[in-house]
Amino acid sequence: MSEPVRIQQEDFSQDAEIAALKASSTRMGGIATFLGCARDFSEGRDVSEISFEAYGSMALAEMNKLRSEAISKFGLLDARIVHRVTTVKAGDNIVFIAAGAEHRAAAFDACRWMIDELKQRVPIWKKEITPQGDAWVTPHP
Amino acid sequence: MINVLFFGPVADRIGQREMRFEFSDGMTLHDVTHKIGMLHPGALSIVSFIAINQQQVRDKQLSLNDNDEIAFMAKFSGG
Repeated sequence: MSEPVRIQQEDFSQDAEIAALKASSTRMGGIATFLGCARDFSEGRDVSEISFEAYGSMALAEMNKLRSEAISKFGLLDARIVHRVTTVKAGDNIVFIAAGAEHRAAAFDACRWMIDELKQRVPIWKKEITPQGDAWVTPHP
Repeated sequence: MINVLFFGPVADRIGQREMRFEFSDGMTLHDVTHKIGMLHPGALSIVSFIAINQQQVRDKQLSLNDNDEIAFMAKFSGG
C-alpha cells in the first residue's frame, strides 16, 4: 500500500487513496476529501500551465507532521495527503487530502484544517505560465 | 561547509539554487545572510522563512554548525 503522505510527479487516483484510507479502520463512518486542481485563469490572465517546485525533504516532513497533528487534534482514524510537484495543465490534479473519522463533523473540520495549514506551512511554490510570461504566485487565502 | 539552498522566486532572484560557504567557528545565520546580501543586493527581500536543517528558525544570531543546510524561502504557495 502507498504511503499516506507523498510528494510525487505523477497523477494520483482518488479512488485508490480513499480505498487505502478506508482499509485502515472499519470504524470509519465519515470521509471528507479535498481535491485541488489547476485552473486556466488567474488574476485576470489566461494560464497555460502551472509549474511546482518544493523543498522536498522539508515539505514531506512538514506534511507528515500535519497529518499526525490532524489525527490527534480532530480524533481522526486516518488521513492522507498527496501533493504533485511537476508541471500541470488546466483541470489536472494538484493536491488531494482525505480525512477519515467516526463521524462527519471531525472529517470535514480536519480536511479544511489540513489544506489551510498545508498552504501556510509546506514549502511548495507554484509558478503560473501565461501567454504574457511566467509569474510566481503570491499566496492568497 | 555551509550549504545554502534557494527555491522558487528566491532562486530566480539569486540566479542559482545553491551556494556553499566555508564554515568557521562562531559563524551565525546573520553572517551568511549578510554575505548573500552583499553578493545579491535586495535578492533576499522576499524571504519570509528561513530553515536550518529543515527546521524553521527566526533568530538571525543563531550559531551555525559545520555541514548545516540553510534554506531561504519566499511565502509558500502550494495546494
